[in-house]
Amino acid sequence: MGGTSSKLPKDLLSEYQELTFLTKQEILMAHKIFSELQDRENGPYSSRVSMEKVLTLPELKSNPFRKRICHVFSTSDMKDGSLSFEDFLDLLSAFSDSATLEIKSHYAFRIFDFDDDGTLDARDLEKLVNSLTGETDDTRLTAEEMRQLISNILEESDIDKDGTVNLSEFQHVISRSPDFVSSFKIVL
Amino acid sequence: MAASQVMETISSEDEDQEMIELEAIRSPYGAAKFDLTHANPEDLEAQHYHEPKHTNALHRNNWSSSTQRVLSSMPSRSIRFNQLTALSRSTVTCRRRPLSDVSTTNCTTEHDVFREQDDCENDVAQKEEVLNKLQGLSAGECMRVLREMPISVSEKRQIRAWVFCWAAGQPCVHRYKGASGSSAVCAFTMDQVEEAFNGRYREVNRETQQWYTYNHLVPEPRPGAVLCGWCYGRVSQQKSIQLWQGALRNISAHFGTGVLSYFIFLRRLLIYNILFFLINGLFLVLPQISNPPLPKNIHTTTADLWMLTGMGVLTDSVMFYGHYDNNISIYNNFKNVTKWCPENYNIPLAYIFTIGAGMFITCVMLVYSMSKSIGRGFRVFKTTGNLALKVFCSWDFKVSKKWSVKLQSVNICTQLKEMVSELSCRKQKRNLCSTLGWIHFLVWFICIFCIAACMLAVYHLPSYTDQICSKANSFQKAVCLLKLPLVMSCISQLLPGFFDMLSTVEHYDSPSTRIYVSIVRNLLLKGCIFGILCYCWFEQHSCRTKGLITWQCWETLVGQELYRLVLMDLLFAIVYIIIAEFLWGLCIRNITFRRKKLEFDIARDVLELIYGQTLVWFGVLFSPLLPAVQIGKLFLLFYFKKTSLMTNFQPSKKTWRSTQMSTFFIKLLFFPSFTGALACVIYVMWRVGPSSDCGPFSNLHSMLLLGKECQGSSKPSMLWLSWTYKYLVNNPIFLFITAALFFTIIYIYMQVLDGQKMIIVRLQKQIENEGEDKKFLIAKIQALNEASAPQ
Repeated sequence: MGGTSSKLPKDLLSEYQELTFLTKQEILMAHKIFSELQDRENGPYSSRVSMEKVLTLPELKSNPFRKRICHVFSTSDMKDGSLSFEDFLDLLSAFSDSATLEIKSHYAFRIFDFDDDGTLDARDLEKLVNSLTGETDDTRLTAEEMRQLISNILEESDIDKDGTVNLSEFQHVISRSPDFVSSFKIVL
Repeated sequence: MAASQVMETISSEDEDQEMIELEAIRSPYGAAKFDLTHANPEDLEAQHYHEPKHTNALHRNNWSSSTQRVLSSMPSRSIRFNQLTALSRSTVTCRRRPLSDVSTTNCTTEHDVFREQDDCENDVAQKEEVLNKLQGLSAGECMRVLREMPISVSEKRQIRAWVFCWAAGQPCVHRYKGASGSSAVCAFTMDQVEEAFNGRYREVNRETQQWYTYNHLVPEPRPGAVLCGWCYGRVSQQKSIQLWQGALRNISAHFGTGVLSYFIFLRRLLIYNILFFLINGLFLVLPQISNPPLPKNIHTTTADLWMLTGMGVLTDSVMFYGHYDNNISIYNNFKNVTKWCPENYNIPLAYIFTIGAGMFITCVMLVYSMSKSIGRGFRVFKTTGNLALKVFCSWDFKVSKKWSVKLQSVNICTQLKEMVSELSCRKQKRNLCSTLGWIHFLVWFICIFCIAACMLAVYHLPSYTDQICSKANSFQKAVCLLKLPLVMSCISQLLPGFFDMLSTVEHYDSPSTRIYVSIVRNLLLKGCIFGILCYCWFEQHSCRTKGLITWQCWETLVGQELYRLVLMDLLFAIVYIIIAEFLWGLCIRNITFRRKKLEFDIARDVLELIYGQTLVWFGVLFSPLLPAVQIGKLFLLFYFKKTSLMTNFQPSKKTWRSTQMSTFFIKLLFFPSFTGALACVIYVMWRVGPSSDCGPFSNLHSMLLLGKECQGSSKPSMLWLSWTYKYLVNNPIFLFITAALFFTIIYIYMQVLDGQKMIIVRLQKQIENEGEDKKFLIAKIQALNEASAPQ
């Protein structure tokens, strides 16, 4: 595909500025990077960029949650994690400086919900802890430690004691941490 | 809800669930078994056929498919429910207006990530509810609410188009097509709308129904222009223009939020100093430069190293107090009478007011950032542990380099392991404290001994150097002058490192205790040497007033001392960076073949910054341009530290709760640092007599007595000053009333807070009870499904 670097029309740009938390420069930068990703696609031109190409971005390359991030923000029918430009803007907006705590905690919840059932149960928590500690053997927790950890987490955060952490309970835990907003950030 | 009424009668059966106190959250979960290994399925199945008495453990593996279907359509697990709650939380009013035609082709699979959206009607109804709520809002509010909804951008655009079409009064059956030539506003492209708005402004004459061009001033912005979006775009652009943003992003990508907080603190201090410098510069220095006083009769020989020592040319310059003068005498031909309230610019009054205003503005900004910082870190509940918090919030998404990500994973793993093991053997650790108490005592004793020794050294050093340097030539005199600042910089920068080395033999329960103890020792050291320095100056001053030493301008001398201290601090820091970080880091890397070994000690460096800033705040009274020197120092320090950090340091392995520590440092900046400097400044202005032959306050007993001198003036512009002095400053009742009001307001807020805390406790208990009911019902559903399922 040749370099058809299409410019973003002005009305669309202002609409995106209104609807997301990104500034004009950030949207233009995102457009530039997205066009480059599209140019690097192997197949015919499509408005979506496949997940593998998105994961070549330096900000996402080493992130242990990269695949989950792509799945959460993707609106593709085939559930393959491919992102359109608007999905990409969604991603950047949720991870931007000015996004509210509500938005960030909402998307963090969805990213951590590995089986997409609307709550964090013990299996989700186990996968979450394994993603955090890394995939190598020497950093994994033992089964006993994992069991203890998960039961402690549920004890602390499950207010209605149903064995899972739903969105409200998650947001309640997050509200106790002042560092969350500043650490849930990706800037291009 | 009807369900809750049923719950109330049944839940009394569960005697196990009586006392659900806040502290005993643990007890229902004592028997929790999260069967990740899928052992003993028969026991679990057997449990579910009985009445649900012990509903603590919910084993999801054994639920039937019909139960799971019911569960997955529960409102608390649906994303639409959460979006609507978010919407209702952010809107204040919701006037319901009927929406005539809503698109019925809404079964888009765009948002079916969650499995629960089975029925399209539910989707349509919820969208209708969203649109109804949005229509009741103004355009700006609507945009803000849309932005904060956690749905995709494409859906937001759809909703936005519908809302605007509705606002234009057109039924919106289809999605916004943007076809030109139709009569509805929403059917024009933005280019056409812009063309219309940039054209002539016309109004209609209601009688003739004719359109006429409006010839007067067109209102700005033009009515209807609000929808362009330019004004909303601007708001979010404000945050992108900040100093050093790229560098800080780079630092955070490598090192995370902890080290970043040091550089953000540095930037904050820079802003305070720039403000102070602007106030001083515009209202004090510039007028003085434009009205230069008579040259004094002091023989200011050209001194060597005048830039470092502040002697020589700088002595009688706007840098120091002694230069500022009330030079009306040159206009008075008859006598050398200095008038205190002259016609043109009043330098002494300006001096007091600019310094006072600068201090006041700094105080307000500090209190504001302190309150914001405390508010961010405030917790409603103090729960037993931080494990959930650590797991959910500790991953720093900004870190993107592979090595740093790996290190972060290792950190988190270590911390989690530590926390889990701590929880399991908490009781055993309490006995160890008593046996190791004497080590703490010993280390504290050594630290206090060192501090006392330093204080003695600083006290005797000036007299010692005076003896040696009285007969030297000018270069050696300059070097002698620099000895005291050099010694003080050495003490304040090297001794805390020594204290940290000593504290490695001590054992602390948690790493944060260790950090706090080292900060306390550091603060004690810096406070003591600063205090002894002030004492030295005060003693010299009292010697002077008693006539034992004749010297001209003690304020200029003190100002020069502080100037030397600030500069020497900078030079020493640069030399330390070069030697201890670059060279030593090079050695470590080459000799041990390990990657960058040094770790950034955030607490020590931040305390260095606070100490430097205290000197500046104290010294601004004697040297109004000292904030400018500090600005230069902070700039240089930033670039040196950043380069050194990138070259020689590795990301830290220790935990650093950055927001909590940032709040703590801002509090330190306010409480001992700023308030101490302010107290000293007020004391000097109030009690200490100015020198009699230099400076703007000569012949006054204290600087604040200027107000009294102006009382006799007949100028109308000075009347407010004398009135203020007489009724506010000199009147204790005014201060008493303001203090009483202040305390009353604080007391009222505290009572309101207590009431809110009680409500929160009650609400938490209620949520727990509802949860019990929910578990009971789920188990009942499961039992019913299994009983009725064909075997």
